[in-house]
Amino acid sequence: MEVLMQCLMIWEQMEVSILSNDILLQARDIKKSYYVGTPNELEILHGIDLDIRKGEFVSIVGQSGSGKSTLMNILGILDRQTSGKYILDGVDISKAPNKALSSLRNKHIGFVFQTYNLIARTDAIANVEMPMLYAGISEKKRRARAIELLEMVGMGERMHHTPDELSGGQKQRVAIARAMANDPDIILADEPTGALDSKTGRLVMDIFHELHEKQGKTIVLITHSNELAAETPRIITISDGNIISEKINDKEGVA
Amino acid sequence: MIKENCKLAIISIKANKMRAFLTMLGIIIGVCAVIAIMTVGNSMTADVKKQLEGYGVQNITIYVNPIDWEADITEADYENMRLRPEALHKLSEHFKDKISGISVEEELGAGSVVMDGKKANINITGTSAGYYKANKVKLINGNSFNEFDYSMGKNTIIVSDKFIEQLYGKEYKPENFLGKEIEININEEYLNATVVGIYHYEQAGSARGGNKNITTNAYIPLKRAWAFSHDEAFFECTVVAADGVNASELSNQIKEYLTEVMASNLGDKFMVDAYSNQSMIEENTKTMNQMTMAISMIAAIALIVGGIGVMNIMTVSITERTREIGTRKALGAPDSMIMLQFISEAIIICLIGGIIGIVLGLVLGNVAVHFMGYTPHISFASIYLSVGFSMAIGVFFGYSPAKHAANMNPIDALRYE
Repeated sequence: MEVLMQCLMIWEQMEVSILSNDILLQARDIKKSYYVGTPNELEILHGIDLDIRKGEFVSIVGQSGSGKSTLMNILGILDRQTSGKYILDGVDISKAPNKALSSLRNKHIGFVFQTYNLIARTDAIANVEMPMLYAGISEKKRRARAIELLEMVGMGERMHHTPDELSGGQKQRVAIARAMANDPDIILADEPTGALDSKTGRLVMDIFHELHEKQGKTIVLITHSNELAAETPRIITISDGNIISEKINDKEGVA
Repeated sequence: MIKENCKLAIISIKANKMRAFLTMLGIIIGVCAVIAIMTVGNSMTADVKKQLEGYGVQNITIYVNPIDWEADITEADYENMRLRPEALHKLSEHFKDKISGISVEEELGAGSVVMDGKKANINITGTSAGYYKANKVKLINGNSFNEFDYSMGKNTIIVSDKFIEQLYGKEYKPENFLGKEIEININEEYLNATVVGIYHYEQAGSARGGNKNITTNAYIPLKRAWAFSHDEAFFECTVVAADGVNASELSNQIKEYLTEVMASNLGDKFMVDAYSNQSMIEENTKTMNQMTMAISMIAAIALIVGGIGVMNIMTVSITERTREIGTRKALGAPDSMIMLQFISEAIIICLIGGIIGIVLGLVLGNVAVHFMGYTPHISFASIYLSVGFSMAIGVFFGYSPAKHAANMNPIDALRYE
């Protein structure tokens, strides 16, 4: 495992020099099919080309069944494309061995899920520490970073509460702190306000805007809501497995 | 990492205390049974061994027995096959360097002594010099028999301090009894003897309380006893092997030799048997250990059933936590960490169960040993074995569910309802 990681790092450095420094995420002709090789073969993504630059706040909008979740799974390295090339921060994901995927996710990606997916019976601080635990960071450093992040999302006073003692909005804030734990290149937020009322949803969106504006985080927001997408500087619309429109939002962030 | 995994496991066990306890129950009962049985078995073995060793490890008992107890054997046959001084003489000559003594006894039975109006009973045994090597007789006053006593069959006797106490009370000094002549009435036949030695009577462990009328042993020279009983043959004797001689080996050689020497007397109806205490102890220990092992094996089945319980619960627990596993994987947990997490959980459940089982087993085993009247003897080997075994069960039965968890596809696990 160790050797593998070292190889990956060297290879990573090599690729970085080839790519333009600006581009963080590069997807070329991404296709995804299910039931490959059977008569029922079903192509969900028909060749997606996508570039995301460092520090961008992009929303990917689409109806359910449009393929946006499939795309998110591929961008989040939870799944592999059937064909096409996906380069994240100079690493060609399509060439990475299966065993390396978990560590790539750990280092490069922060997930925020619609259903929060906090670990039950484990307090907020331990939840935030978890990605750092898997990154092999020492207990002391993990704790300090987790406290810092929880304070940043306004959860400093509820650090020792377990998920069932927290409201939906609070849970999502903990989840955002967790997504930030290893300072990932990109935060993938899959319908982050989908399970929240408009008021708490607003609060969560404000945190994303803050992360984007103040910390220059690259954020990809996956949503079905045009209203929410309109808040982001760049909007990519996806339908039936194709990108059908892409527009730069002239309005600044907050509605 | 290991520390983190243990923490995670403890959190998850705490979250489901009742379920964890029920899972442990199988392990607890299994370990408890194994430990209790091994404690009882070890205590019994140790006690029996101690008892046997008390009789003299170097003793070899020689018997002449019919080959077939139901065969038609006449009085004359019996008369012919018995051991006689000549055969023993040959034996001691042949194994000169290996034998330190031969003990032959001639029981004359119980007799009564009346002195100064008080009566006490003694059991008269004729003894050879070797008797005092094969048996524990602790002289406190006077001497044992000298060569003359043996060769001439003199009227000398060794009695117990208890016997003197029975006649003269506790205040009386036993040494004053030395040199006294006593008259023993054995079935209306009278035997007169001079007291040359007094030994300390050791009360057998089992006899308690009122032993006023206890009959203690008194010893006279073998020849005197033979003269009294008009008989010079016997069915059994004890050979004491010299120090450093392997008694079990010697017993086989003696058996062979005597079978050869006594061939004409034995005929085809009798055989010589020789057992050393050593081999008896060994055999006994072996049998006891085998028995303990066999019963422990049965108890170990309970452990295996307990292990299957652990596997069942781990499978349920992993299915319940599929989404958690998916989340962990999305956040970058490598497969090996997921696997370690669940195996740690299984091991910790088994280990806690194992420790509770050991404590209960020790208590149960010692209580049983106490009521059976043995000395408690804790077997540390069985404790280490149980701890190791319960951990192994954790690994073995935790492996397949944990592997299943580790191999889950993160997207499927995340979407699992």
